[in-house]
Amino acid sequence: MSTTHAETVDGALPHEPEKATLEGRNKVLSFWLFLGGEAVLFGTLFATFLALRNQTNEGPTAGELFQLPMTAAATLILLVSSLTSVFAVQAMHRHKVAALRVWLMITVLLGLGFLGLEIYEFAEYVRAEKFGMTTSAFSSAFYTLVGFHGAHVAFGVLWISVLIGQLYKKGLTVVTAPKVYVSAMYWHFIDVVWVFIFTVVYLLGKVG
Amino acid sequence: MSTADHQANHDVVKHSERHEGPQKHIIVFIFSIILTAIAFAAVSAGGVNAAFTVILLLVMAVLQVLVQLGYWMHLKDRGHLMPILFMIGGFFVAGTAIVTALYWVWW
Repeated sequence: MSTTHAETVDGALPHEPEKATLEGRNKVLSFWLFLGGEAVLFGTLFATFLALRNQTNEGPTAGELFQLPMTAAATLILLVSSLTSVFAVQAMHRHKVAALRVWLMITVLLGLGFLGLEIYEFAEYVRAEKFGMTTSAFSSAFYTLVGFHGAHVAFGVLWISVLIGQLYKKGLTVVTAPKVYVSAMYWHFIDVVWVFIFTVVYLLGKVG
Repeated sequence: MSTADHQANHDVVKHSERHEGPQKHIIVFIFSIILTAIAFAAVSAGGVNAAFTVILLLVMAVLQVLVQLGYWMHLKDRGHLMPILFMIGGFFVAGTAIVTALYWVWW
């Protein structure tokens, strides 16, 4: 067992350090409540998008715009990053702090890759397709929904990066463990939302 | 067998039980990849009945989300009644918003 958790009272960390304290358990439970609220937030954005997705105002339509290979690449990147954050939590349960940090770093890098692809995609739409935020009701709904998800990815990248720094500084303790666990939940939820985005926005857009 | 040995064996068993391996999560990952591939293939192939494709896409998405919520976010584990209720509540309001928006705007 590693020696990087000197802050705990008896020097030994339990198997699931995120659930060792009442504060940790409360943090996980209340984060679920937050995710329920996030589901409502994205639900309203999906509702707006579904209601307006055919109002193209003579601008580009979904069928003309979307390139499925790019969507597939973004989907694969995010799915792999969700798996690497599972591995991060598993490393945490084994108290392997170095492995935990590496898995979190890989997750952050994949998140950055996803963001890069999305920024490139949006820039292409605006530049080559003349598909801006105000082009049509479809474009506004598209950029709001997909952009809101992208902003969540960007926030997750920042959050997990700060956590990696904190793990260097403080090690794995009953205080830092719930933060890691909750950030992994957040990251999985981002992937869950993306499953609905690639299905409802991109694939249904191609079907018509 | 001495009491100490017995205790050690017991600890080993408990240890392996407590540390779940990555296999289950890799299976979830492969399952997600397959569902995603089916969805993309159904759209790329085209020519299939549009209504059928839409239903297929939604089923693939819901399956993938349920598996990831259950295994990667541990909702299927013990002691997750409140989180499940929170998520059902969230998805219920989200679904109501979607149905309402579609009904309100287009009928």
